[in-house]
Amino acid sequence: MAMAALRREGRRFAPLLSPRPIAGVRSSLVSEEDAPFGTRSISTQVVRNRMKSVRNIQKITKAMKMVAASKLRAIQVRAENSRGMWQPFTALLGDTPSVDVKKNVIVTISSDKGLCGGINSTSVKISKALHKLSSGPEKETKYVVLGEKAKAQLVRDSKKDILLTISELQKNPLNYTQVSVLADDILKNVEFDALRIIFNKFHSVVSFLPTMSTILSPEIIEREAEAGGKLGELDSYEIEGGETKAEILQNLAEFQFSCVLFNAVLENATSEQGARMSAMDSSSRNAGEMLDRLTLTYNRTRQASITTELIEIISGASALEG
Amino acid sequence: MASNAAVPFWRAAGMTYITYSNICANLVRNCLKEPYKAEALTREKVHFSIATWNDGKPEKPVLRSDTPED
Repeated sequence: MAMAALRREGRRFAPLLSPRPIAGVRSSLVSEEDAPFGTRSISTQVVRNRMKSVRNIQKITKAMKMVAASKLRAIQVRAENSRGMWQPFTALLGDTPSVDVKKNVIVTISSDKGLCGGINSTSVKISKALHKLSSGPEKETKYVVLGEKAKAQLVRDSKKDILLTISELQKNPLNYTQVSVLADDILKNVEFDALRIIFNKFHSVVSFLPTMSTILSPEIIEREAEAGGKLGELDSYEIEGGETKAEILQNLAEFQFSCVLFNAVLENATSEQGARMSAMDSSSRNAGEMLDRLTLTYNRTRQASITTELIEIISGASALEG
Repeated sequence: MASNAAVPFWRAAGMTYITYSNICANLVRNCLKEPYKAEALTREKVHFSIATWNDGKPEKPVLRSDTPED
Protein backbone atom coordinates (compact mmCIF):
# COMPACT_ATOMS: atom_id res chain seq x y z
CA MET A 1 0.00 0.00 0.00
CA ALA A 2 2.83 2.33 0.81
CA MET A 3 4.43 1.37 -2.49
CA ALA A 4 1.32 2.28 -4.42
CA ALA A 5 1.23 5.59 -2.67
CA LEU A 6 4.86 6.23 -3.53
CA ARG A 7 4.23 5.39 -7.14
CA ARG A 8 1.39 7.85 -7.20
CA GLU A 9 3.76 10.31 -5.63
CA GLY A 10 6.25 9.84 -8.49
CA ARG A 11 3.55 10.46 -11.04
CA ARG A 12 2.54 13.67 -9.40
CA PHE A 13 5.31 15.71 -10.91
CA ALA A 14 4.90 14.66 -14.51
CA PRO A 15 1.60 16.25 -15.48
CA LEU A 16 1.74 19.27 -13.31
CA LEU A 17 -1.62 20.73 -14.02
CA SER A 18 -3.64 17.52 -14.16
CA PRO A 19 -6.75 17.77 -12.01
CA ARG A 20 -6.88 14.02 -11.39
CA PRO A 21 -8.24 13.54 -7.92
CA ILE A 22 -5.81 11.14 -6.32
CA ALA A 23 -6.94 9.76 -3.02
CA GLY A 24 -5.30 11.52 -0.17
CA VAL A 25 -3.58 14.02 -2.42
CA ARG A 26 -5.32 17.26 -2.99
CA SER A 27 -3.35 19.43 -5.27
CA SER A 28 -3.95 22.89 -4.14
CA LEU A 29 -2.94 25.97 -5.95
CA VAL A 30 -2.52 27.80 -2.73
CA SER A 31 0.82 29.51 -2.51
CA GLU A 32 3.21 28.52 0.18
CA GLU A 33 2.96 31.90 1.89
CA ASP A 34 -0.68 31.69 2.90
CA ALA A 35 -1.35 28.14 4.06
CA PRO A 36 -4.94 27.98 5.24
CA PHE A 37 -6.39 25.23 7.22
CA GLY A 38 -6.49 21.91 5.45
CA THR A 39 -3.84 22.28 2.77
CA ARG A 40 -2.21 19.13 1.89
CA SER A 41 0.54 20.02 -0.56
CA ILE A 42 2.66 23.08 -1.03
CA SER A 43 2.64 24.41 -4.55
CA THR A 44 5.83 25.15 -6.37
CA GLN A 45 3.95 26.95 -9.11
CA VAL A 46 4.77 30.41 -7.90
CA VAL A 47 8.48 29.79 -7.73
CA ARG A 48 8.39 28.05 -11.08
CA ASN A 49 6.72 31.03 -12.71
CA ARG A 50 9.27 33.38 -11.27
CA MET A 51 12.07 31.20 -12.53
CA LYS A 52 10.60 31.16 -16.00
CA SER A 53 10.32 34.92 -16.18
CA VAL A 54 13.79 35.51 -14.78
CA ARG A 55 15.19 33.07 -17.29
CA ASN A 56 13.50 34.93 -20.13
CA ILE A 57 14.84 38.23 -18.92
CA GLN A 58 18.31 36.75 -18.76
CA LYS A 59 18.04 35.62 -22.37
CA ILE A 60 16.83 39.01 -23.50
CA THR A 61 19.57 40.93 -21.75
CA LYS A 62 22.17 38.56 -23.13
CA ALA A 63 20.85 39.17 -26.62
CA MET A 64 20.89 42.92 -26.08
CA LYS A 65 24.47 42.70 -24.95
CA MET A 66 25.45 40.87 -28.14
CA VAL A 67 23.67 43.43 -30.27
CA ALA A 68 25.35 46.30 -28.46
CA ALA A 69 28.75 44.63 -28.82
CA SER A 70 28.37 44.30 -32.56
CA LYS A 71 27.13 47.86 -32.96
CA LEU A 72 29.99 49.06 -30.79
CA ARG A 73 32.60 47.58 -33.06
CA ALA A 74 31.24 49.35 -36.11
CA ILE A 75 30.78 52.74 -34.59
CA GLN A 76 34.02 52.73 -32.61
CA VAL A 77 36.00 52.69 -35.83
CA ARG A 78 34.08 55.68 -37.11
CA ALA A 79 34.47 57.62 -33.89
CA GLU A 80 38.21 57.09 -33.83
CA ASN A 81 38.50 58.15 -37.44
CA SER A 82 36.51 61.28 -36.81
CA ARG A 83 38.93 62.43 -34.15
CA GLY A 84 41.18 63.65 -36.92
CA MET A 85 38.63 66.25 -37.90
CA TRP A 86 38.93 68.51 -34.92
CA GLN A 87 42.55 68.01 -34.06
CA PRO A 88 43.80 70.56 -36.60
CA PHE A 89 41.38 73.07 -35.14
CA THR A 90 42.68 72.56 -31.67
CA ALA A 91 46.21 72.86 -32.99
CA LEU A 92 45.32 76.14 -34.66
CA LEU A 93 42.88 77.77 -32.33
CA GLY A 94 43.52 76.05 -29.01
CA ASP A 95 40.89 74.80 -26.62
CA THR A 96 40.11 77.32 -23.93
CA PRO A 97 37.57 75.98 -21.49
CA SER A 98 38.30 78.71 -19.02
CA VAL A 99 37.33 81.59 -21.26
CA ASP A 100 35.05 84.05 -19.59
CA VAL A 101 32.10 85.01 -21.75
CA LYS A 102 28.71 86.49 -21.29
CA LYS A 103 26.60 84.11 -23.30
CA ASN A 104 27.22 80.45 -22.84
CA VAL A 105 25.26 77.83 -24.65
CA ILE A 106 25.60 74.30 -23.35
CA VAL A 107 25.03 71.59 -25.94
CA THR A 108 24.26 68.38 -24.10
CA ILE A 109 24.47 65.18 -26.08
CA SER A 110 22.60 62.12 -24.90
CA SER A 111 20.91 59.06 -26.29
CA ASP A 112 17.34 58.53 -27.35
CA LYS A 113 17.06 55.01 -26.03
CA GLY A 114 17.45 53.85 -22.49
CA LEU A 115 18.99 50.83 -20.76
CA CYS A 116 22.44 52.24 -21.26
CA GLY A 117 23.70 52.64 -17.73
CA GLY A 118 24.44 56.02 -16.24
CA ILE A 119 25.99 57.94 -19.10
CA ASN A 120 23.03 60.21 -19.70
CA SER A 121 22.78 61.06 -16.03
CA THR A 122 26.45 62.00 -15.87
CA SER A 123 26.10 64.23 -18.91
CA VAL A 124 23.16 66.02 -17.38
CA LYS A 125 24.94 66.34 -14.05
CA ILE A 126 27.95 67.95 -15.69
CA SER A 127 25.72 70.24 -17.71
CA LYS A 128 23.93 71.43 -14.62
CA ALA A 129 27.21 71.97 -12.80
CA LEU A 130 28.51 73.95 -15.74
CA HIS A 131 25.36 75.99 -15.77
CA LYS A 132 25.84 76.87 -12.13
CA LEU A 133 29.50 77.59 -12.65
CA SER A 134 28.98 79.92 -15.54
CA SER A 135 26.07 81.86 -14.17
CA GLY A 136 26.60 85.21 -12.61
CA PRO A 137 25.71 88.84 -13.06
CA GLU A 138 25.15 89.72 -16.71
CA LYS A 139 25.91 86.19 -17.75
CA GLU A 140 23.49 83.97 -19.51
CA THR A 141 23.59 80.22 -19.91
CA LYS A 142 21.21 78.25 -22.04
CA TYR A 143 20.82 74.65 -23.13
CA VAL A 144 20.57 72.93 -26.46
CA VAL A 145 19.63 69.33 -25.84
CA LEU A 146 20.28 66.43 -28.20
CA GLY A 147 18.50 63.23 -27.31
CA GLU A 148 15.41 62.29 -25.39
CA LYS A 149 17.04 61.15 -22.18
CA ALA A 150 18.72 64.43 -21.33
CA LYS A 151 15.60 66.31 -22.32
CA ALA A 152 13.54 64.34 -19.85
CA GLN A 153 15.98 65.11 -17.06
CA LEU A 154 16.57 68.75 -17.86
CA VAL A 155 12.92 69.57 -18.33
CA ARG A 156 12.34 68.88 -14.69
CA ASP A 157 14.17 71.86 -13.32
CA SER A 158 15.71 73.88 -16.13
CA LYS A 159 12.74 74.30 -18.43
CA LYS A 160 13.22 78.01 -18.92
CA ASP A 161 16.80 77.66 -20.01
CA ILE A 162 16.26 75.29 -22.88
CA LEU A 163 16.56 76.77 -26.33
CA LEU A 164 16.32 73.77 -28.63
CA THR A 165 15.74 70.07 -28.30
CA ILE A 166 16.67 67.60 -30.97
CA SER A 167 15.65 63.96 -31.20
CA GLU A 168 15.52 61.03 -33.61
CA LEU A 169 19.09 61.62 -34.55
CA GLN A 170 20.05 57.98 -34.85
CA LYS A 171 17.27 56.83 -37.12
CA ASN A 172 19.68 56.61 -40.02
CA PRO A 173 23.30 55.77 -39.47
CA LEU A 174 25.13 58.85 -38.28
CA ASN A 175 26.82 60.81 -41.01
CA TYR A 176 28.55 64.12 -41.26
CA THR A 177 25.88 65.72 -43.43
CA GLN A 178 23.20 65.18 -40.84
CA VAL A 179 25.26 66.57 -38.03
CA SER A 180 26.34 69.52 -40.08
CA VAL A 181 22.76 70.39 -40.97
CA LEU A 182 22.02 70.21 -37.27
CA ALA A 183 25.00 72.43 -36.49
CA ASP A 184 23.75 74.86 -39.08
CA ASP A 185 20.33 74.95 -37.44
CA ILE A 186 21.89 75.59 -34.07
CA LEU A 187 24.09 78.35 -35.41
CA LYS A 188 21.18 80.05 -37.07
CA ASN A 189 18.86 79.92 -34.09
CA VAL A 190 21.18 80.52 -31.22
CA GLU A 191 23.17 83.52 -30.15
CA PHE A 192 26.29 82.60 -28.33
CA ASP A 193 29.68 83.79 -27.28
CA ALA A 194 30.88 80.33 -26.44
CA LEU A 195 29.44 76.91 -27.11
CA ARG A 196 30.16 74.16 -24.65
CA ILE A 197 29.57 70.69 -26.00
CA ILE A 198 29.16 68.02 -23.31
CA PHE A 199 29.44 64.41 -24.36
CA ASN A 200 30.84 61.10 -23.16
CA LYS A 201 34.18 60.46 -24.73
CA PHE A 202 34.91 56.84 -25.45
CA HIS A 203 38.21 55.69 -24.00
CA SER A 204 37.55 51.98 -23.76
CA VAL A 205 34.69 49.55 -23.42
CA VAL A 206 34.49 50.11 -19.70
CA SER A 207 35.48 53.76 -19.46
CA PHE A 208 33.54 56.66 -20.90
CA LEU A 209 34.40 60.00 -19.42
CA PRO A 210 32.22 63.07 -19.73
CA THR A 211 34.10 65.66 -21.72
CA MET A 212 33.54 69.27 -22.59
CA SER A 213 34.63 70.93 -25.82
CA THR A 214 34.55 74.67 -26.20
CA ILE A 215 33.86 76.53 -29.41
CA LEU A 216 34.21 80.27 -29.39
CA SER A 217 32.37 82.65 -31.60
CA PRO A 218 34.49 84.70 -34.02
CA GLU A 219 34.11 87.86 -32.00
CA ILE A 220 35.42 86.20 -28.89
CA ILE A 221 38.28 84.72 -30.85
CA GLU A 222 39.23 88.24 -31.88
CA ARG A 223 39.01 89.38 -28.32
CA GLU A 224 41.13 86.53 -27.05
CA ALA A 225 43.62 87.01 -29.84
CA GLU A 226 44.36 90.43 -28.51
CA ALA A 227 45.04 88.91 -25.13
CA GLY A 228 47.83 86.83 -26.59
CA GLY A 229 48.49 83.17 -26.30
CA LYS A 230 47.78 80.71 -29.03
CA LEU A 231 45.14 82.82 -30.66
CA GLY A 232 47.46 85.77 -30.72
CA GLU A 233 49.74 83.89 -33.06
CA LEU A 234 47.05 83.83 -35.71
CA ASP A 235 48.37 87.07 -37.06
CA SER A 236 51.58 85.41 -38.08
CA TYR A 237 49.68 83.36 -40.68
CA GLU A 238 49.52 84.68 -44.19
CA ILE A 239 46.08 84.85 -45.72
CA GLU A 240 45.72 83.95 -49.35
CA GLY A 241 42.78 84.81 -51.47
CA GLY A 242 40.60 87.80 -51.12
CA GLU A 243 39.26 87.14 -47.66
CA THR A 244 39.91 89.04 -44.53
CA LYS A 245 40.92 87.55 -41.23
CA ALA A 246 37.47 88.11 -39.79
CA GLU A 247 35.92 86.26 -42.71
CA ILE A 248 38.25 83.34 -42.31
CA LEU A 249 37.72 83.23 -38.57
CA GLN A 250 34.00 83.05 -39.06
CA ASN A 251 34.29 80.23 -41.59
CA LEU A 252 36.69 78.40 -39.33
CA ALA A 253 34.50 78.80 -36.27
CA GLU A 254 31.48 77.41 -38.08
CA PHE A 255 33.38 74.51 -39.54
CA GLN A 256 35.03 73.82 -36.20
CA PHE A 257 31.66 73.60 -34.53
CA SER A 258 30.41 71.19 -37.17
CA CYS A 259 33.47 68.94 -36.90
CA VAL A 260 33.55 68.93 -33.13
CA LEU A 261 29.83 68.21 -32.95
CA PHE A 262 30.22 65.32 -35.38
CA ASN A 263 32.97 63.79 -33.32
CA ALA A 264 31.04 64.38 -30.11
CA VAL A 265 27.92 62.70 -31.46
CA LEU A 266 29.91 59.69 -32.65
CA GLU A 267 31.81 59.35 -29.39
CA ASN A 268 28.61 59.59 -27.42
CA ALA A 269 26.99 56.93 -29.57
CA THR A 270 30.00 54.65 -29.01
CA SER A 271 29.87 55.27 -25.29
CA GLU A 272 26.16 54.52 -25.34
CA GLN A 273 26.74 51.13 -26.91
CA GLY A 274 29.56 50.36 -24.52
CA ALA A 275 27.50 51.37 -21.51
CA ARG A 276 24.58 49.33 -22.74
CA MET A 277 26.86 46.32 -23.13
CA SER A 278 28.09 46.53 -19.57
CA ALA A 279 24.64 47.29 -18.19
CA MET A 280 23.11 44.29 -19.93
CA ASP A 281 26.03 42.14 -18.88
CA SER A 282 25.57 42.95 -15.20
CA SER A 283 21.84 42.50 -15.64
CA SER A 284 22.32 38.98 -17.04
CA ARG A 285 24.66 38.17 -14.20
CA ASN A 286 22.15 39.38 -11.63
CA ALA A 287 19.44 37.36 -13.32
CA GLY A 288 21.68 34.30 -13.13
CA GLU A 289 22.24 34.80 -9.42
CA MET A 290 18.55 35.32 -8.85
CA LEU A 291 17.88 32.13 -10.77
CA ASP A 292 20.31 30.23 -8.52
CA ARG A 293 18.58 31.49 -5.39
CA LEU A 294 15.18 30.65 -6.80
CA THR A 295 16.33 27.16 -7.72
CA LEU A 296 17.40 26.56 -4.15
CA THR A 297 14.07 27.79 -2.86
CA TYR A 298 12.29 25.61 -5.41
CA ASN A 299 14.17 22.51 -4.35
CA ARG A 300 13.54 23.19 -0.69
CA THR A 301 9.85 23.66 -1.32
CA ARG A 302 9.66 20.56 -3.43
CA GLN A 303 11.45 18.42 -0.87
CA ALA A 304 9.32 19.79 1.94
CA SER A 305 6.15 18.89 0.08
CA ILE A 306 7.43 15.38 -0.66
CA THR A 307 8.25 14.91 3.00
CA THR A 308 4.81 16.12 4.00
CA GLU A 309 3.21 13.70 1.57
CA LEU A 310 5.24 10.80 2.90
CA ILE A 311 4.43 11.63 6.50
CA GLU A 312 0.74 11.80 5.76
CA ILE A 313 0.72 8.59 3.84
CA ILE A 314 2.72 6.69 6.37
CA SER A 315 0.78 8.02 9.30
CA GLY A 316 -2.42 7.23 7.45
CA ALA A 317 -1.20 3.71 6.81
CA SER A 318 -0.13 3.18 10.36
CA ALA A 319 -3.46 4.51 11.61
CA LEU A 320 -5.23 1.89 9.49
CA GLU A 321 -3.07 -0.90 10.79
CA GLY A 322 -3.08 0.12 14.34
CA MET B 1 40.04 95.13 -38.55
CA ALA B 2 36.79 95.98 -40.25
CA SER B 3 36.36 94.00 -43.43
CA ASN B 4 35.87 96.20 -46.41
CA ALA B 5 36.23 93.35 -48.85
CA ALA B 6 33.04 92.06 -50.39
CA VAL B 7 31.66 89.01 -48.67
CA PRO B 8 31.54 85.87 -50.80
CA PHE B 9 28.32 85.31 -52.69
CA TRP B 10 27.15 82.54 -50.44
CA ARG B 11 27.61 84.52 -47.28
CA ALA B 12 25.66 87.36 -48.81
CA ALA B 13 22.88 84.88 -49.65
CA GLY B 14 22.56 83.95 -46.00
CA MET B 15 24.35 80.62 -46.03
CA THR B 16 26.86 79.59 -43.47
CA TYR B 17 30.13 77.99 -44.39
CA ILE B 18 28.68 74.66 -43.35
CA THR B 19 25.85 74.86 -45.87
CA TYR B 20 28.31 75.96 -48.53
CA SER B 21 30.66 73.05 -47.91
CA ASN B 22 27.76 70.60 -47.82
CA ILE B 23 26.56 71.73 -51.20
CA CYS B 24 30.07 71.44 -52.59
CA ALA B 25 30.38 67.96 -51.10
CA ASN B 26 27.07 66.98 -52.62
CA LEU B 27 28.31 68.13 -56.02
CA VAL B 28 31.42 66.03 -55.63
CA ARG B 29 29.38 63.01 -54.61
CA ASN B 30 27.21 63.39 -57.66
CA CYS B 31 30.29 63.20 -59.84
CA LEU B 32 30.92 59.61 -58.86
CA LYS B 33 30.00 56.69 -61.05
CA GLU B 34 27.64 53.93 -60.03
CA PRO B 35 27.70 51.93 -57.74
CA TYR B 36 29.89 54.20 -55.64
CA LYS B 37 27.50 57.04 -56.23
CA ALA B 38 24.58 55.28 -54.57
CA GLU B 39 26.83 54.34 -51.65
CA ALA B 40 28.02 57.87 -51.23
CA LEU B 41 24.55 59.31 -51.43
CA THR B 42 23.42 57.10 -48.57
CA ARG B 43 25.95 58.96 -46.49
CA GLU B 44 23.97 62.10 -47.02
CA LYS B 45 20.69 61.14 -45.46
CA VAL B 46 19.48 63.66 -42.94
CA HIS B 47 16.84 62.88 -40.36
CA PHE B 48 16.19 64.57 -37.08
CA SER B 49 13.40 66.36 -35.31
CA ILE B 50 14.06 69.74 -33.76
CA ALA B 51 11.83 71.75 -31.46
CA THR B 52 12.40 75.31 -30.34
CA TRP B 53 11.46 76.18 -26.79
CA ASN B 54 9.99 79.47 -25.68
CA ASP B 55 9.80 80.20 -21.99
CA GLY B 56 9.83 76.59 -21.01
CA LYS B 57 7.25 75.48 -23.54
CA PRO B 58 8.17 73.48 -26.59
CA GLU B 59 6.66 74.37 -29.89
CA LYS B 60 5.67 71.81 -32.42
CA PRO B 61 8.75 69.88 -33.48
CA VAL B 62 9.90 70.25 -37.03
CA LEU B 63 11.02 67.07 -38.72
CA ARG B 64 13.98 67.74 -40.92
CA SER B 65 14.27 64.78 -43.18
CA ASP B 66 15.76 66.38 -46.22
CA THR B 67 18.96 66.22 -48.12
CA PRO B 68 21.19 69.20 -47.70
CA GLU B 69 20.57 70.44 -51.20
CA ASP B 70 17.58 72.42 -50.02
